Amino acid sequence: MLETLSLFLGIWLLFLLLAIYYLSQSPDGSVGRFRESVSGHLSAESRAKALLREMLTESQYQQLIKFGYLEIASPSIDNRVYRVPGSGGLVKVYERGCAVMELCLQPAEPLPDGDVVVMHKLMIEGNEQEYLQKANHFAPGIISLRCQHL
Amino acid sequence: MGMLRIMSRRGDDRITWDFRKVVENDPEAVAAIEEAERIFEKTRQEGATAFKVEAGSTVERIDKFDRKAEQIVIVPRVVGG
Repeated sequence: MLETLSLFLGIWLLFLLLAIYYLSQSPDGSVGRFRESVSGHLSAESRAKALLREMLTESQYQQLIKFGYLEIASPSIDNRVYRVPGSGGLVKVYERGCAVMELCLQPAEPLPDGDVVVMHKLMIEGNEQEYLQKANHFAPGIISLRCQHL
Repeated sequence: MGMLRIMSRRGDDRITWDFRKVVENDPEAVAAIEEAERIFEKTRQEGATAFKVEAGSTVERIDKFDRKAEQIVIVPRVVGG
């Protein structure tokens, strides 16, 4: 009885593997598309990670890895620091160590997480006034949910 | 070498050119820089922002394509969330 059951299970598994193989070989097969999508996502993430690595100093990169956020000093306001989360969410703004507001700004098209961090860094360092104009401002601590892409 | 990097959902796309060869009218270099300029203008019209990023300098927002830039990064249009 157990041997028969094992045999059926083995045959069923073989058919399943064959089906997956044929679907993955088909250019318009759903598994093929799934595989392309996963591979595209991984490729985008690895490119974003490479860009992030290039754009940050060693200490900034270590801060991001260790604490999960990147702190960027305001180029125009003394004692202001923007704390950019590494995996999406609101940017916290600190002045003299105290949270003063939270900002929500996101790309109109979804970007890999690493690119979003670089986006915040470039905009704060090179275009702070427009960054502040475009971002939605919240009192600190009111919203803690991750922003969703539009 | 100059480089234009365009952020997108696929990660960043890149175009590189050698400015010295552009000055010498090398066809490949001229084609590369013209393509970079075309993409720069197109993405800016779509609301993207361009930044000049060079080693040892502060990040600078630019509105005109800089052929001599070491690296230009294009950030797509952003919106308040």
